[in-house]
Amino acid sequence: MATQHTRRDFLARVGAAAAGVALTGATAPGCSDQPAGTNKRADKLARRVVIARDEKLAQGAVDEHRDLLRKLLNGSVQRLTGAPDAGAAWRGLFGRKDRVGIKVNTLGLSTQPAVADAVVAGLRHAGVPAENIIIWDRFDVELQRAGYKLNASKQGVRCFGTDAEEAGRGYQGRIESSGRIGSCFSRIVADQVDALISVPVLKDHNLAGVSLGMKNFYGAIHNPNKYHDHNCDPYIADVVAHRFIGPKWRLTVVDATRAQYHAGPGQSLEHAWPFGGLIVSGDFVAGDAVAADLLEAKRKTEGLESLTDEKRPPVHIATAGARGLGEADLSRIERIEV
Amino acid sequence: MECLENLFAEPTRRDVLRWGVACGAAGVLCDSAAVAQDTAGTGALEGPKLEGVARHEALFWEELADRKVKCTLCPRECEVADVERGYCGVRENQGGRYQTLVYGALCSANVDPIEKKPLFHYLPGTTAFSIATAGCNIECVFCQNWRISQFRPEQVPSRHVPAERLVGSCRSHGSPTIAYTYSEPTVFYEYMHDSAALARRHGIGSVMISNGYIQDKPLRQLCRHLTGVKVDLKAFTETFYVDHCAGELKPVLETLETLKDIGIWFELVVLIIPTLNDSSDEIRRMSRWVVKHLGPDVPMHFTRFHPTYRMTNLPRTPVSTIERCRQVAFDAGVHYAYAGNVAMHPGENTYCHGCRHELIRRVGMQTASNRLKDGKCPKCGTAIPGVWSQEQALAFSPRS
Ligand code: SF4
Repeated sequence: MATQHTRRDFLARVGAAAAGVALTGATAPGCSDQPAGTNKRADKLARRVVIARDEKLAQGAVDEHRDLLRKLLNGSVQRLTGAPDAGAAWRGLFGRKDRVGIKVNTLGLSTQPAVADAVVAGLRHAGVPAENIIIWDRFDVELQRAGYKLNASKQGVRCFGTDAEEAGRGYQGRIESSGRIGSCFSRIVADQVDALISVPVLKDHNLAGVSLGMKNFYGAIHNPNKYHDHNCDPYIADVVAHRFIGPKWRLTVVDATRAQYHAGPGQSLEHAWPFGGLIVSGDFVAGDAVAADLLEAKRKTEGLESLTDEKRPPVHIATAGARGLGEADLSRIERIEV
Repeated sequence: MECLENLFAEPTRRDVLRWGVACGAAGVLCDSAAVAQDTAGTGALEGPKLEGVARHEALFWEELADRKVKCTLCPRECEVADVERGYCGVRENQGGRYQTLVYGALCSANVDPIEKKPLFHYLPGTTAFSIATAGCNIECVFCQNWRISQFRPEQVPSRHVPAERLVGSCRSHGSPTIAYTYSEPTVFYEYMHDSAALARRHGIGSVMISNGYIQDKPLRQLCRHLTGVKVDLKAFTETFYVDHCAGELKPVLETLETLKDIGIWFELVVLIIPTLNDSSDEIRRMSRWVVKHLGPDVPMHFTRFHPTYRMTNLPRTPVSTIERCRQVAFDAGVHYAYAGNVAMHPGENTYCHGCRHELIRRVGMQTASNRLKDGKCPKCGTAIPGVWSQEQALAFSPRS
């Protein structure tokens, strides 16, 4: 039952999306049987990470900057894909028929609703119907605490936890194996979506080093507590390699509007970091590698020990890279700052 | 849930009869239906919402920097950041304070024969009011009760049962013993500790059915209120514990030595899994260790594995393997070696270690006859180790 997905699969998927725009100009569904490596553009997209910052974002409440966030995100996705405009960029990644899950992180320092809102706006650009979009995490109550308005109806953008009785429907009753993990997966990722966007927060994690786009998917399994030994490695790579996650994953948008460089994942005002930006990537390993690098640099400027010295290096990023799930080598990642 | 609701309602005469029938049925069904010892039947994945989970201050933890805590209840010693949980999934750090999420949150309750635990030298022929909450501090890939042990409190249907209610229900059902069982009682330590203390004051004993993964200090504190313990000794190699249980052997052996030191009655269960822990050499080394460190009178139950949870690629253990392991244990000097999960097998019976006279005959998980006279063999007068009366159980107090 072990399931592993490689970067090759991932590139095939992104490549197909890009090809859909380039060749037909029409909406392309995100999946393809096209063999990997046939589209050079896919390779470039896979190693590309956009860091979009605006100092205005660091001021006031994030919620006041919804327009700015949409603009920043659209620009980032455009730069990422090389598409002529934002609409084409989003259409290159998502199709009208896609059912898209936006996985936010509402444990401790949480993904800002305004950032999720910008992602929704992008998907709407691609023609994804509102009711095909689910903003989700583990628990209704944590989503509400983080400022999300629950919507378990079939109208409009939906928002609920895996624990929402009618909508989330809990976890699957069977154990799925992937590498060394054995878990029941949220029925949201298993049954209700074809595409995933990870929208984590740029934050420190006391065991994994960082909690970013890949770690975010610990929220898709019923037993994340079992997989925190050894800096969560290789378990994070095992989770994201599973067929319910890896093949569906199209985009990572790290919410770095309000980041935290130490004492995560719970919120610590003392270590708050108003980064005022987003980190966007179509390569979930590269996106995390760059975000982790930024966090390490910040720790250094704050006079803190490195994550490695604190015995919590984010080794899961290198493991995912070594597994072929994406690019972990910073020297091979194209970092675009806008 | 129906089971839980019924058990904690005031029982009618019909309930008592029904539970009697259920207990009998468990024994009869155990082998044919591959229902192993001490399994719990429950649905999972449909627990209370997170906000419905009760919280109670945990015992045995230390404050660390940045609102982190270190749990010192079990050898894992989880360091847990604010808003996170420990490995067992039932203990959570909230703002630098450690909490248990399973205090009184019972997900299973059954009136079982004590033989089902299995405890063969502890009040044979009686029942144990058996309860569990969600959670476990290791993960055996062959766990029979994974639908409660490997889930979190909010994922398992449960009912809040205060300790007073538990003790009252146990008494109403005529059980002399509460068994903390099915999942891993160490992770619901606080509730077990409080209810065992209360039960003792009401003339009811308490037995912990455990993997032995607990630290010395909490174990000693708990044993002041317990009257018996069963420990799973899953294998005799570190490799097995690491590869198949996400745990370690050494702390379990330390627990066994602590139990010996305390002087409480305890028995061992070894689940024999084909090719993984069934070699005569391993069983011999294990049995010799038991005889040397714990003494020959600690009963060892060698039980059959059946494929389940994440270990479905191996066959059921042949009965002949169980018989071989039992013989190896006898040869190593163990006085009481039993065959488990093998219904109607003579290896389930107790024979005097002095004269081999049959003392207790068991059918399935029920005691069919008991010839002991005041804890002694009626034929040769040898004192048989164990707990044979409730007075004896309740008289226990730790040696150290
Ligand atoms: S009892 Fe639970 S939280 Fe405490 S050390 Fe053991 S596994 Fe960790």
